[in-house]
Amino acid sequence: MNKKLTLAHFYPDNMNLYGDLGNIVTLLKRCQWQNIDLEIIEIKKTDKIGLKNVDIIFLGGGQDQGQKIIADDLLSRADMIKEEIEKGLVALTICGGFQLFGKYFQTAENERIPGISVFDCYTTAGQKRLIGNVIVDTEQSAKEWLPTAEFPHYKPSRTTLVGFENHSGQTILGDNCRPLGKIIKGFGNQGDSKHEGGVYKNAFGTYLHGSLLPKNPWFADHLIALAYFRRYSVEVMLHELDDSVEISAHEAALLRAETAKTVSI
Amino acid sequence: MRILIANLIAKIARMTSRLAKRGGGTTLPGLLAEKIAPNIITKLANQLPQGIILITGTNGKTTTARMLAAVLEANNLKVIYNSSGSNLSRGIASCLSQNSNLLGTKINGDIGIFEVDEATMPEITKKVTPKIILVTNLFRDQLDRYGELNKTASIIGSAIKRVPESIVFLNADDPLVASLKKYNKNVRYFGINDHIETKSNGAIDSKNCLECDHELRYEHRYFGHLGTYECPKCGAKKPKLDYGLSNLRLSVEKSIANYGFSDHKILLEIQLPGLYNLYNALAACAIASEMRIKDTTIQDSIKKVTAAFGRMESVEVGTKKLFLLLVKNPTGFTQVIETLSYDNKPKSLFLLLNDKFADGTDISWIWDAELELLNKLADRVVVSGIRAEDLLLRLKYADFDLGNVMIEKNVEQALDLAFANIQEGETLYVMPTYTAMLELRKILYNRSLVKGLVE
Repeated sequence: MNKKLTLAHFYPDNMNLYGDLGNIVTLLKRCQWQNIDLEIIEIKKTDKIGLKNVDIIFLGGGQDQGQKIIADDLLSRADMIKEEIEKGLVALTICGGFQLFGKYFQTAENERIPGISVFDCYTTAGQKRLIGNVIVDTEQSAKEWLPTAEFPHYKPSRTTLVGFENHSGQTILGDNCRPLGKIIKGFGNQGDSKHEGGVYKNAFGTYLHGSLLPKNPWFADHLIALAYFRRYSVEVMLHELDDSVEISAHEAALLRAETAKTVSI
Repeated sequence: MRILIANLIAKIARMTSRLAKRGGGTTLPGLLAEKIAPNIITKLANQLPQGIILITGTNGKTTTARMLAAVLEANNLKVIYNSSGSNLSRGIASCLSQNSNLLGTKINGDIGIFEVDEATMPEITKKVTPKIILVTNLFRDQLDRYGELNKTASIIGSAIKRVPESIVFLNADDPLVASLKKYNKNVRYFGINDHIETKSNGAIDSKNCLECDHELRYEHRYFGHLGTYECPKCGAKKPKLDYGLSNLRLSVEKSIANYGFSDHKILLEIQLPGLYNLYNALAACAIASEMRIKDTTIQDSIKKVTAAFGRMESVEVGTKKLFLLLVKNPTGFTQVIETLSYDNKPKSLFLLLNDKFADGTDISWIWDAELELLNKLADRVVVSGIRAEDLLLRLKYADFDLGNVMIEKNVEQALDLAFANIQEGETLYVMPTYTAMLELRKILYNRSLVKGLVE
C-alpha cells in the first residue's frame, strides 16, 4: 500500500498571486511518481483544522489586500504552526507568505502587519519593486539541510534554484534564520544581490516564483524527503525519475536570467 | 506653430517608418509629436465634433474598439481609432496627428475611439475630457509591469475621478471594476444575467468584497471572478444592470444572446466564439445604445464584425486553416481553452510562449492557466517561443501525453512542424503570447498568407 503524506495549502484564495499552483501540482505529481499519495487540504480563513496529520504546509504570495485579509487568521494559528515547525514540520512559503512567516511586514504607509515569527526576520516596504529572473546557489545551505547520518543515500542532484522575483519588501534576516542561498543573478532579500530567502529547521521562505518547484525538481524532492522522514522515521528511497523536461526548463531559465533585463521600478 | 511642426515631424516619421518597412509607424510619430508639442493630444482631440471614447481594462480593449467602430461607422460617423496595441499616449498622439491637417485646425473624423493602457489612463484624462470611458474588466496581467491588481484599479480610479462629466461604463460582473463607482458617480453598468457556469476551478483574481474584505459568494461564476456575486457580510452585490445580456448560446464558431436595456429587447449574434467576446459586444452595444443609435443598426453591424488582430483570427492556408488565439494571462488562456472545448473534438495545437516586455517577463502565469482542461482535447501539439521549455514543462504537469508533443524553438520551423500535423481541411489552433503572435504574423506575411503586418 502506498505511503501517504498530507499537504496543507494555506489561504489558496487570497495568497495565489504568482503561479503558486505550480508548486502544489509539482509536489502532487512527484509524490505520485514515487508511489506516495499526497493529500491536499485547503485551509481557508476561519477553517478549524489541526496540523497533527499535516506533513507539509504551503503559503504563497498575495496582493497587499490578500495579506491583510489573512494576517490575523494566520496569527491565531501561530502557536500551533510554530510548535510543529520546532518538531520538523516542512513548510514552503513564497514572497508574501515568506514575509508573514517573519516577525512583521511594514508597509509603505508605515502600517505594521504582524507575522508569526517562524523566521527570525522582518520586512519593510522598499522604494522600488525588484523584478526579474533570479539564480540562487543553495550549496552552502544544502549541506545543512539534512542530518546526513539519517539520509545516507540522499544527494540533491543540483543546488541551483531558478525563478522570478517581484517584490518591494526588503527582508532582513536575524541571527536565527539562515539564508536559503547566495544570489548569482537577481536582487534577493534586500535588493543588494547577496542573499535569497530564509531557512529555519525544515521551514523555507523565498521570493522565487516562476513557479519555483517545477523548474527545480531537486528542491521539490528535498521537501518530500524531509516530510517523509518526519512522518515515517526512515529515509525515503526516491526512484530516479526522467527529469529531462524539468532540467531543460531549468537550463533555459539559467540562460534567460543571464540575458534578460531586470528592472526596479 | 508648435502643433504644425509637431504634425509635420510626425507625418514625416510615419512616412519614413512605413517606407523603411519598420512596421506600421504607429508610435514613433506620436512620441516625437508629443515631445515637440506636449499639448497636441488636447488640441487635436478637441477638434473632434463628437469627442472621444476611451477603452481600458485588461482584456477585450481591441475587440471592443473594433466592434464599437463598426457600429458607429454603420451609423455614418467617421471614426478614428488607434489600433494594434499602440495604446500608450504616443500611440494616441500618432493617430490624432495622422488624421489632422498640418495646422492642427481640422481633423478628419467625427469621433475618436482610443484603447488606453491601464497605467496610461491618468495621463490621458489629464489631457482630455472623454465623452465616454469604458472599463472592460481587470484581470491579473503582466504584474511585473504594474505591481498589483488593486493598484491598477486605483490608477484607473484616479483617472476617472478627474473627469466627472464623462460617462463611465463599468462591467457590473467584475467586483473590482464595479467598485470604481466610488471615483465617478456618472456610471452605466453592463453585464450578464444567465445560468452558465465556468468549468474552471482556479485563477480567481479578485474574490473578496472591496467594501469589507469578506469573501464574496457567487450565485453564478461566468469566468475568472466575473459573475453574479454578493457579499454575505456587508450585503454589497453586483449592481443592477443598465445594459444586459441573457439567454446565452455559445459555440466554437459564434455566439448568440438576448441584449436588453430599458424596454428594448434585441437578439444579438456575433461571428466570434467565446464568452469574453460577448462581453466585448455587450460593451460596444451599450455605448452605441447610450448614443441612441438604432437597435437595428446595432444588430446588423455587430453581426458583421470579424476578429481583431490575432484574436480568434482565422487564416486560410490552401485547404488547411489556422486559428490564431492570442493568450496573455491566466484567465484569458483558460477562457480560450474553455471555448475550444465547446465541441469535444480533438484538436492540433501550436503553443508559443515569449517573455519579452510586451508579453510580461514573468511567465509564472502559465501555471495558473488551466491547461489541465486541454489535455483531453489535444491531439498533436507543438510548443515554441523563447520560453518553450517552460511551456513543455507545464504540459508535462498537466498530464499531456508528451509522446504527442514536439518542441522547436525556432518559430518558423515550429510552424511548419505544426502544419504538418494536420490534414487537408483541418484546423490548427495557435495560441501565442503577444510578441510571439507578431513574429508568427510576420512569417505569414512573408509567405503572403496575411495581407498586412498590422491592421
